[in-house]
Amino acid sequence: MIKYTLKRLVFILFTLWIVITCTFFLMKKLPGTPFDPEHFSIMSAQQQEKVLEMYGLNDPVPVQYAKYLKNILHGDFGTSYTYVNQKVTDVIGGRLGPSALIGIQAVLIGLAIGLVLGILAAWRHNSAIDYVTMIIAVLGVSVPNFVAAALLQYYLGLKWEIFPVGFWTSWACSILPSIALSFSPIAQVARFTRTEMLDVLDQDYIVTARAKGISQFKVLTRHAIRNSIIPVVTILGPIVVNLMTGSLAVENIYSIPGIGSLFVDCIKANDYPTIMGITIFYAAFYMLVVLIVDLAYSLIDPRIRLAKGKED
Amino acid sequence: MKMKKIATIILAAVMAVAPAVNTFAAGENVLSVSTNAEVKTLVPWAASEENAFLVLNQAQEGLFRMDADNKPQPALCESYEVSDDKLTYTFHLRDGIQWSNGTPVTASDFVFSWLKQMSAEATNGYSFIMNDYIVNGYEYSDGTVEADEVGVKAVDDSTLEVQLTNPTPYFLNLTTMIMFFPVNEEFFNEQGDQFALTPDNMIFCGPYTITEYDPAVGVTFAANENYWDKDNVQIADAKVRVMKDATAALSAYQAGELSQVELDSVNVLANQDSPEFSRQIDFRTTYIQFNLTDPVMENANIRKAISLAIDRQTLTDKILADGSAPGFGLVADGMSGNADSSFRELNGDVSGFDAEQAKEYFDKGVEELGSAPSEVTLLVADDSVSKSVATYIQSELDKNLGLSMVIDTKTVQGRGELMDANDYQMGLTAWGADYDDAMTYLDLWTNGTPYRGNYSDDTYNGLISDAKSQTDDETRLNDMLEAEKKLVEEDAVVAPVYHRGSATLTKENVKNLITHPIGVPMEFKYASFE
Repeated sequence: MIKYTLKRLVFILFTLWIVITCTFFLMKKLPGTPFDPEHFSIMSAQQQEKVLEMYGLNDPVPVQYAKYLKNILHGDFGTSYTYVNQKVTDVIGGRLGPSALIGIQAVLIGLAIGLVLGILAAWRHNSAIDYVTMIIAVLGVSVPNFVAAALLQYYLGLKWEIFPVGFWTSWACSILPSIALSFSPIAQVARFTRTEMLDVLDQDYIVTARAKGISQFKVLTRHAIRNSIIPVVTILGPIVVNLMTGSLAVENIYSIPGIGSLFVDCIKANDYPTIMGITIFYAAFYMLVVLIVDLAYSLIDPRIRLAKGKED
Repeated sequence: MKMKKIATIILAAVMAVAPAVNTFAAGENVLSVSTNAEVKTLVPWAASEENAFLVLNQAQEGLFRMDADNKPQPALCESYEVSDDKLTYTFHLRDGIQWSNGTPVTASDFVFSWLKQMSAEATNGYSFIMNDYIVNGYEYSDGTVEADEVGVKAVDDSTLEVQLTNPTPYFLNLTTMIMFFPVNEEFFNEQGDQFALTPDNMIFCGPYTITEYDPAVGVTFAANENYWDKDNVQIADAKVRVMKDATAALSAYQAGELSQVELDSVNVLANQDSPEFSRQIDFRTTYIQFNLTDPVMENANIRKAISLAIDRQTLTDKILADGSAPGFGLVADGMSGNADSSFRELNGDVSGFDAEQAKEYFDKGVEELGSAPSEVTLLVADDSVSKSVATYIQSELDKNLGLSMVIDTKTVQGRGELMDANDYQMGLTAWGADYDDAMTYLDLWTNGTPYRGNYSDDTYNGLISDAKSQTDDETRLNDMLEAEKKLVEEDAVVAPVYHRGSATLTKENVKNLITHPIGVPMEFKYASFE
């Protein structure tokens, strides 16, 4: 297990290096400079020189790359171009909280509702509740979250005044965006749970359990749910990453200072250090979550062995 | 049991990030406006975006502050004298003016920030706004002269002397801009690279102090107790909030979270009968820049034909419908001319619409070229407004000239790069006035760069340089009127398309929330609640 984890960590570092390299060189291919062309072109040669020098943009790209790698090995992710004098780590750190809070809440809502719907749908297969659940699931995946966000804002925020329409002033502000983001996980989890559950209900051991005369309810709780929940963990990883790394549309609609809009802004502004910082963060976060899911998987389900050939 | 544990862990995680929510709470009697982009920096010589100007103008102050008519009124300066040659300005600061930490505001605070703005350290691209006027500005920028040779000096603590290279009738207007605001050197040095990052790293000399600042959330203000004119500041609490989505901002306004909101064109029609509705024209012109080195655009008749073929009135009425005004000239509507009339009124329409005349010019141009151009290409930025304007121009050229036009869409930066590299035929671009004088536009076409279509004309340059050295205001104005006619009507180097306008809703209980079409966008100082 430890050996396996270490091996995966080494792989993660290697993948990160590839991600960094690709992003770095691709980013330099972005049209434009980090500086507003209309204003940069009227700066004096000395000013331009000083700016370029300040950000190390005078060096050839491979040299910049080498310097960048050296700096991040020392934990220095550089200073943002657009957020003057602010460390990239500070800029990103300041934006993580809101995105993470909304993301976690959306995952929790999605899991809770999705699981219940999925289980009910499978339990009463081909009944009204099954159809309703599947309609919700289809809507959940096909209605974009910004539509849901705008509708929720209009009705729950503006018309009925239950929640704030936007801003980031209290915990109440995080409720609507969390709900808006939860539709997609609800749908995914519900569908997945239903399928797994139907599969499990067909298994021999369920038939055996029923044959033993256990009540329908106990069959469901003791035998079916436990086994059908396990695969749900697999899809949980990507969902968590997806939601916690922010959503541009939902953040903009609710005026939330999240990381999704930061990412888009810094690309638009050619803010190289911030682009790199966020990319590295996204990549590392994703790979770590996948690793954790894999590890959790083997803990939950003893049938899965991560390291091969142990029995040999 | 296990589930419980997991639930506990998740709950703990939620609790851990929950304090990230900060306290920009709304309240009664708070003046609150929104901005559609982040307030990324408040360092005066690094800030180049309008939202930073909006924030700094409430928290800081210069020698003058603009009034409701966009005229400069004495602010930190009490009185001033101008020498007979109009080249030396002597400003006398008010007695007892203080920074928010109690330190006196002195003439050297101005010298310090002005020199910063002129130096190579300024990264906002606004050094020209001083270097163009102040003696030895460019030389200081280039590092060829020392600070003491630059034409800005503190004679004593309350006297500032400024030497200009040319008579500049609008120099006082310039001093209302944020680049001309003072910065205390001692305080700046104490803060080092932390300067202006948080409210604790700033001191203020304007009507308000900043109590909270988050680039992505906005700024919270409180009335400045040390402000010289604090008795006339009526609203104690104010906010600038970042709201990137226009519809969301409108919802926030309707929910009472904002005192004023700018409408996007979708919402203009629905709201234009509301008593809260108002429109204003910005001093900003969107125009087609012709590349004079292009084999087709080299021909003046073709350029005139294209300019005359665009029905600008229909564009602003039907397509944009957001309060924009047709571009009948390069200099925007309402910019200052003489005492009685605006520049636009004095010069009339220099870029009108006349389909018949357009066709005549076009045929003449085709004859001179030898054959009709198969198509022309307009380079535009990839925002939705530029694209719809370009599509409109495309249909106008097709309808009125039978000329097919290709729309080449690039990012704003990509478009800028191509134009700088002389790799375009026509470019749709815009210029916002930096100060209320036609020179802010006309000066751009004297350098002959590719971005300005490689236009290099001795008569035109002569008019501009004469205007710059004139001490007589009327001759100066006439030079500029003639220059605009030449640039737009005779030589058709550019085809002005429209002047951007905006439509806003303002709560009826908010009075005197003044907006300016240039420089600093808004004044909280004079505002009050009814």
